Parts: sequence; C-alpha cells; structure tokens
Amino acid sequence: MINDPNSVIAAQLSITIDGQQTSFTEGETIYQVSKRLEKNIPTLCYDDRLDAFGGCRLCVVEVEGIRNPVASCTTQANDGMVVKTAPPHIEKMRKTLLEMVASENRQIDVDPLRGLASQELSTLVNKYGARSGRFAGRKSGTTNLQDLNPFILRDYEQCISCYRCVRVCAEQEGDYAITVANRGFETQITAEFGNDLRDSDCTFCGQCVQTCPTGALADKKAIRHEELPEKIKKTRTVCPYCAVGCSIDLMTKGDKIVGAQPAMDGPANKGALCIKGQFTYDFIQHEDRLKKPLMKQPDGSFKEVEWNEALTAAARGFADARAKYGRHSIFGIASGRAPHEAAYTMQKFIRASFGTHHIDNCSRA
Amino acid sequence: MPSATNQDLIDQWKNEPAPLLPLLHAFHNRDGYLSDDALRAVADGLKTPLADLYGTVTFYHHFSRTPGGLEAPRVCTGNICCMRGGNEILETLKAQGQAATEMPCSGRCDAPIPVLTGHTTLSGETAADLKPTPSPLPVPNPGDIEECLFSNIRKDGNNTLAGYQANGGFSALASVLKDDPTAITDTISASKLAGRGGAGFPTGLKWKAVADCDRHPKSIVCNADEGEPGCFKDRALMDYDPFALIEGMIIAAFATGAPRGFIYLRYEYPETNALLEKCLAEAREAGLLGNNILDSGFEFQLYVRRGAGAYICGEEGSLLNSLEGKHPFPRNKPPFPVTHGFEDKPTAVNNVETLCAVPHIVNKGAEWYQSLGLGDHVGTKLISLSGDILRPGNYEVPFGLPLKTLLYHWAGGPKDGRTIQAVTMAGLSGGFLGHQILEDLTLDDPCIKSHGSFLGAGGIMVFDDTRDMVKAAHDAMAFFAHESCGKCFPCRIGTQRLTERLNGDASELSLADWTNEVNDIGEAMKATSACGLGMAAPFVTESLLKYFPEQVAQATS
Repeated sequence: MINDPNSVIAAQLSITIDGQQTSFTEGETIYQVSKRLEKNIPTLCYDDRLDAFGGCRLCVVEVEGIRNPVASCTTQANDGMVVKTAPPHIEKMRKTLLEMVASENRQIDVDPLRGLASQELSTLVNKYGARSGRFAGRKSGTTNLQDLNPFILRDYEQCISCYRCVRVCAEQEGDYAITVANRGFETQITAEFGNDLRDSDCTFCGQCVQTCPTGALADKKAIRHEELPEKIKKTRTVCPYCAVGCSIDLMTKGDKIVGAQPAMDGPANKGALCIKGQFTYDFIQHEDRLKKPLMKQPDGSFKEVEWNEALTAAARGFADARAKYGRHSIFGIASGRAPHEAAYTMQKFIRASFGTHHIDNCSRA
Repeated sequence: MPSATNQDLIDQWKNEPAPLLPLLHAFHNRDGYLSDDALRAVADGLKTPLADLYGTVTFYHHFSRTPGGLEAPRVCTGNICCMRGGNEILETLKAQGQAATEMPCSGRCDAPIPVLTGHTTLSGETAADLKPTPSPLPVPNPGDIEECLFSNIRKDGNNTLAGYQANGGFSALASVLKDDPTAITDTISASKLAGRGGAGFPTGLKWKAVADCDRHPKSIVCNADEGEPGCFKDRALMDYDPFALIEGMIIAAFATGAPRGFIYLRYEYPETNALLEKCLAEAREAGLLGNNILDSGFEFQLYVRRGAGAYICGEEGSLLNSLEGKHPFPRNKPPFPVTHGFEDKPTAVNNVETLCAVPHIVNKGAEWYQSLGLGDHVGTKLISLSGDILRPGNYEVPFGLPLKTLLYHWAGGPKDGRTIQAVTMAGLSGGFLGHQILEDLTLDDPCIKSHGSFLGAGGIMVFDDTRDMVKAAHDAMAFFAHESCGKCFPCRIGTQRLTERLNGDASELSLADWTNEVNDIGEAMKATSACGLGMAAPFVTESLLKYFPEQVAQATS
C-alpha cells in the first residue's frame, strides 16, 4: 500500500527539488524523483534496468543538512528533504570529473553505430565544456583486438570503468561472462583468465555493447558501415526471429540496413535482445536470400516459379502422400518464430486438412 | 602424507561461514599459488561464476597467480621503509635472482624493514641480515601514565589463556554474563568509548543499534585489517593481548545478541593469524566460546578470516563484501552495517583497539575510563610512531597529550642534529602537519581537526629536515593509487593523476596551472568520492601545498 502513489501515506511524503515540492513513494531515489521532474542530472554509470551503482559520482546533488554532496542514484528520497541538483559548486565538480574521465581515454568522439549509449560521454563532455585537455596523463584500459569474435569489438582504451557491461551481463542476462579484474587505475574488463569471449560464458546478446556509454564496446558488424555517407535512420520494428516479439530499432543508411538496436521501451523486451535479434539481420539483404519460390526439377536443379505454381505443386504433393501412405504419414512442425495465432492456424491446418494429430512446434526440439 | 585433493578442501570449507577466503587460502597454501584449475574447482565447489571469482582474486595483492608466488619475497616499500632502504633490499634480492616484489606498508615500522615470504616475516636493515623477527613489544609507558590497553601487554605469557587468566582475564566476561545485555551497552555508552579505527563513532550507540534491530542472525566483526601505512597498534594488541580481543568480542556479542563473529585479519600478519587460531582453539576448549559459554546458555562462535592484501578491505563495506566472498568494492550507505551488514543482517563492525578496551572498561568502570584522558578528553589512544624518530613504536597516550611530549620526551626526538620537518596524521590519510604548527598540537580530534586533519587510527610518521616532502607526498599518493579499488571515478582517476603530478619531474604546466589542477582534483575527490579513501587522499596534496609551497615550486619547475 505504501508503494501505491494514490495512498494517503504516500501522498504525505514530500521532497523539495530545486525549489519544486513533489511527492514520492517510499524507496524512490533522489535521482528517480528528479528524473520525473525532468531535472536532467548527468550520469555515466546509470542504467535504469540495473541496481544503482554509485560509481561515476556525476549525479551528486546537494542535500540540505548534509555536509558532502550525495550520489542521487543511490540515495533514497526522505520526507522533507531539500535538494539542489545543480548549484554552481557541484556543476564545477561535474566538469572536473568529466575532464578527468576525458583525460583517460584515447578519443571522446565515436561513431554512433558503435552502440545505443555510445554518445553519452561525448554529449556530457560537450555540455560541460570538458574538452579542455586538463589533467593529462596515462590512459587506462588495454584494447583487446586479439578477440576475433565476429560481433563485439573490445576497445578498452575507451573504457571508463563504469562497469555497466559487467552489471548488465550479471543482473539482466545472468551470464556472468565478464568481470572487473585488478583494481584502481589498472582495472580491466575481461572474461576469466583473460579469455576470448568465445571461450567464456558470453552468449553474444550484445547487451554490454548497447549499455556502454563510450563505445568501448562496439557492434563490429554495424561499424563496417561507418564510412557510408548517409545519416543513420532508425525504424521501429519487431525482431522476426521468435514469437517473443522484441522491439528493435533497425538502423539504415540509405536503403542499406546497417544494424539493429534494442528498444528500451519495447513492451516485450524492455531493451533486452539475444544474439539473433542483435546481430543476425544480415539475411535481409544477403545476396543468397530467396525472393521467389524455387521448384525442384526432375534433373535435380531448381527453377524460379510464381507462388501459384509453387503452392499448387506443394498441395499436390501433400494430397499424393496422404492418398498413398495414409493421413498419419503427414507431420506438421510449426516454427518457433510463428506467433500464437500462426501456430494455432498451423495446427488447424494439419488437423482439419489432413485429419491427423501429428503436429508439434520446433521449440520443443 | 599426500596433500589434500581439491574435493577435500572444498568439503572442508563449503559449509563453513564466509568460506571463500579460507578456501582460496587453502589452495594458495597447498599449491603455492592459485592456478586456473584451482579457480575452476573453487567456482564449481562454491557455485559461484568463474569470471566473477577470477576478477575478485585479481583484486587482492597477495594472491599469487604464478607458481612459487606464495614463497616469493615481498619487500615493504611503504613510506617509512622507502626512507630506510626498502627499495635497496628489493633490488638486491632481485639481483640474487629471487622473484621479489614490493608490497605496501606491512605494519612493521617499529622494526627493521620487513620482508614477507610464505607465512614468515623476516626483517633486517639490509638484504644480508634478513631473519625471522618477532613482533616488537611496546616499551613501558615512558610518561609513567596509567594505561588501559597496554596495562597487561608486557606481562609474561599474557598471550596464552592461562597467562591471560592469571592477569584477571575473562573476569569481565563472567560478570557481564550474569547481567542484562543492556547493562553492558549502557556501561560502554557511559564510558564514551568511540571507534578507534579512526571514525570515532560511539561504540555504545553502535551496539545499541544492532541490539535494537529485530533481524537475525546478527554478527560481530572485528576489523583487524590494519592496512593504513604507519599503523601497527592492532598488531601489537593481537600478538601480546589476543584474549582481550576475544573477550571484548564475546562481550560485544552478548550485548548485541550476535551468535557469530569474525576477526577479519590483514594478510600481512601471518604470525598473528596462527596465534589467533591457536587462541580460539584454546578458548573453545575452555568453554569460553561455543554453544554454552561459561554455562550461561549464551552461544557465540568466533572465526578468523584472513584477508589477501587490499587496503580498501579496512573500509567496512568492502570488508563485509570481502568476507562474503564478493568483489571488495565499498557499499553504498545507507543502509549501514548496524542494520544491513554481514549477509545483510545487523552487524557491529569494531576495530581491534575498540574491542580490546571493553574488558578493561567492564572491570574498572566507565568513570575510570573517562578519567584516563587529560583535561576534558576521555580515554586513551594507541599511537603508532615511526620514521625519523629515535624510538619508534606503539605508545598508549591519554587523549589531549601534547604531541611534543610524545615526540621528544617519550620517543627521544629526532636523530642527533636533525629537526622535525613534518609529521603525518592518521597514518597517511590525514596528510601532513608542518613544523610550523607542531609546537602547540595536542593529540585529540578537536585540536587536530582545527588544523584540517584528523587523528584517525593513530599512525604518526615523522619526517626530519633531510626529507624531500614532495617525494614523501608522491609515495603517499602512489600508495592510495595502488589501493584505490576502482569503483568511483574521482578516486580511481584522481589518485593516479595526483601521483603523476608529484613524480618530481618538471611539469609542463606553470605553477599556477599545476596548483589549479591539483586543487580541482582534490576538491572533487573530497566531495564526491564513494568512500573515505578517495576523500582522504587529497589531504596529502592539500597539506603539502599548505606547509611546503617552496618545495612544490622547486619540484615542478
């Protein structure tokens, strides 16, 4: 009941943010309440699907009565709290922190094809004018170009140790394929024993790529198209692979599909994808893709035909088999990619047309 | 005897509380390092993800991943040992073909330079005279002032159960067990005993918070990770008064209603580890620990868990994560350990010195303890004194003692013909206090805080007028950079950048720009770091600039 925003108790909890009084529900963090008020508090380690981590410290805010600024992402709102999200001294420290982060990377600007969140660092660095070149020194992270997997580029010289990749792999995927090795400035994202991802528990779902705020992890297939001159256009669609119906944004340059990104607001997936939806869109424009039915000829070769001719031949084949070997000689397997309605139609087709209950779904295999 | 199999080790530990560290140590000790196969076996045995385990193991300085690593000599190159030839010993051992490496301050600043090999601490002025050396015992109180913590420490046999009992040991426990648990908490509150690890949180209040929380099972955790450079007081207490710690923990457990406790001991004290294990066995045998302590019906199980080399594990959130086998990053607070500590249950995390004071306070009363301080100050503090001073060592001082009394009258002052240029506070965490202000300083937090520093765990390093303070600041910052856990940006990057700026090379920046950069980094670290490490490290640069601006100007131009 306490989490019900309409309850009397909840309505009594109030917080003042930048002079604006608002109610909140118990358990909400300052960051969450501020976000609702469109306060735009900067952060680099936050992904609202993950447990708040409190690493980047950009989201610190001033709370009346507390000496040091507090990380708004990990601090719960309290009744009567008075918060300032962007007083000048905090904005100054945010700039310092961004200058420090910028100083440890080889480059700030990366192609947006690298990943969904890849522009977060450059956006904040620009916003805060943190491209000052101050705090120059050693760069952190060692890029791993030896990992020859075809999907994920591991360009750790761009890594800022926010650990969103490690956390999404553990918390969202449950794979625990990657980890934080060493400590301090020597921290390095790696699989066990420094192994290639292919030899780890990685399923190549690409979630680490899409949550990376610097492009240190990048979609290897998408960045093949960096040089294409056209602008990236995103089209919301549904992954064609299975019946879950994950929403994706298909990225195109001109008429070329250059990549897929998960839709954070997809009702079925909320930003999640698997290897197929994430990386295996190539078939759409592959030269080997069938665009018309092919019919096998007596000499074994295939001949391109129209749909009518193909369907007629298929129907004849079914009818002949049934006549010759009986109705139970036919077995239907519905595709796991088929949605509920199509699967229903499939079993209806097999049961009603052929009179057999030999029907199953490939998902059971 | 054939060595234990992987399965033997896993079976021995997997159902014990806080099993990861002892299981890793079991493999480390058996094989002399942690092999890939060992990690696979541990991950499988404890059902923990292998990548996670790998990351956690690489976090610790002293878990070796190469054969022979356990026995390879590790030479202390802490601030003090750097000044007296630690690096020379390291180079000599390397030249002899040994796989020697450096280690951060290992808490033997009152003895010649320590070198850890296997489970033995050697020490010597040079590589040639390294030999096993017992932990130095504190000298009798030079001020002839009544002591609390050290009152029994120099008595023969005090670190055996019989000896401790002969000195009145466990009489406090016996009287406490007859009383109501709230009575002992009230006594501790009345004594105004506060956290001696440095945070100074009132001990009675902490115990009450744990006692009041209705979630079980609760725990008592002793923070014996004493990783602060220049701090070695807990080592002396555990080596020569270990049963006082055990008695203090049992009393804390009784006061809070905790059935289990852990002593989280730093890796660098192998002899102490062995001694504590022996003491716990003796105490169990004597019915002082276990299911029915002194026939009172009270149950308390106490375990030692050995760390593996990580300063940050002295931070209570990191310590608890480490104990639980997790990656030792600090935890976000709130919630605090008193409600959500070990395994998310109420936990009192207390320092060795705090817990050791408890039996004395129970025996002699809260008023007696309060009266030990000078003036309005309450109680005593152990100070670990090291560096350019004639008699380095552990001293029990009354709060409020003038620093110069300790430095000149008790510890003999600087070496002949030298003057004191600076001292550190809180080991390294409090930065430097320059000679300009040492005259009027008293050893209590109100005074030291008025100079922008703090007493902390009570480590004081002395630097005489021959020392390069920029180099001293560099070595201090290099330590913080080495120990930064990597969780938060300001500390991870800031300690690295500050170390680079103190390396003694001429800076490409003007002094004004150099100072601006150092100050801006420091400001962001102090205000936004996720834990005390990052908040404290800038005290080093801040105090360097405050007291020694001319040395900074010279070093950077």
